[in-house]
Amino acid sequence: MNKIVCFTLVVLFFINNTKAQSIQIVKFDGLKNITFNKSDTTYVINFFASWCKPCLEEIPTFIQFIDSTKNTKTKVLFVSVDLKNELNKSLIAVVKKYSLPPIYLLDEPNGNNWISDIDKNWSGAIPATLIVKKGRKKHFITSTITYQNLINLTQ
Amino acid sequence: MKKLKNIFIISVYLFIASAFLPKQKETILDFSLKNIDGKMISLANYKDAKGFIIVFTCNHCPFAKLYPPRLNALNKKYDSLGVPLIAISSTDTMMYEEDTYPNMVIKATNEQFSFPYLFDEMQSVAKNFKAQKTPHAFVIWKENNQWVVKYNGAIDDNGMEPDKVTESYVANAVDALLANKKITTTETKSIGCQIAFRK
Repeated sequence: MNKIVCFTLVVLFFINNTKAQSIQIVKFDGLKNITFNKSDTTYVINFFASWCKPCLEEIPTFIQFIDSTKNTKTKVLFVSVDLKNELNKSLIAVVKKYSLPPIYLLDEPNGNNWISDIDKNWSGAIPATLIVKKGRKKHFITSTITYQNLINLTQ
Repeated sequence: MKKLKNIFIISVYLFIASAFLPKQKETILDFSLKNIDGKMISLANYKDAKGFIIVFTCNHCPFAKLYPPRLNALNKKYDSLGVPLIAISSTDTMMYEEDTYPNMVIKATNEQFSFPYLFDEMQSVAKNFKAQKTPHAFVIWKENNQWVVKYNGAIDDNGMEPDKVTESYVANAVDALLANKKITTTETKSIGCQIAFRK
């Protein structure tokens, strides 16, 4: 649980960094060392990849959700699990095509080290979306997500 | 009335007791699927097999694409020891044109697959295994004429860089089974392309 929180914190750190590039590489391991996040922001963390068709199909839903929650304490974080060598190719193309906000590329070659920390029943198949409220995991969704789901689950 | 009460008490006991029972063995049913050479393949065809390495994979998935040389190596090593490798593609071909049967034939030929590459058109075998993504590997073993799942998860711990693999999960599981030892890691997680089941 703490890992998720730390993870969120680090990502938050990056998002606050206005100089952040459009793709920021993050490690899951390094995230553990950061202290507890007491912010009252709700995070919607979408695990996706440039090669995952159902993930790309969901992006417009997330963009619509971002637009409609602009003035609330809700933040959507796109976390790519693309292979690192894809960084300069397909992932950048996806970021441009969908005009994504700054995204994160998770640099973890062994999924077994972190996937269970997100959810013990998660096999690692994407898309997958994690919703964290006040530093606590609230929902984890691996099925197709709709705009209404996002609204309901973040309320 | 008393009878009802007794039944209730017994049910409660059984319910509590069930929590302490060892996890039930996952078994899988044999199947018959078309190989890239057009022939049908079933586990029952392999009379001498002690077990199998079953890998759900596909053409389109970048993670799956990293593994064919490693699958060839696994098959080369373990086929002769009575544990052949079988690859199965269960991806929805409506979603991914690259995964159609003709494209499977082309890929297997180009990359010289030494193992069968079966087309699970109805996705029923993936459902039977509860395979969720590609690549998703299973080690199954014959026990009392049943196929028991002994390992499920990643093939090894580094998809992108084969030289940096420190744990070959599938190979370790098969080695343990062949040596009649306990498998240290019976389940692992890894990123993969979801097998989207058609409704």
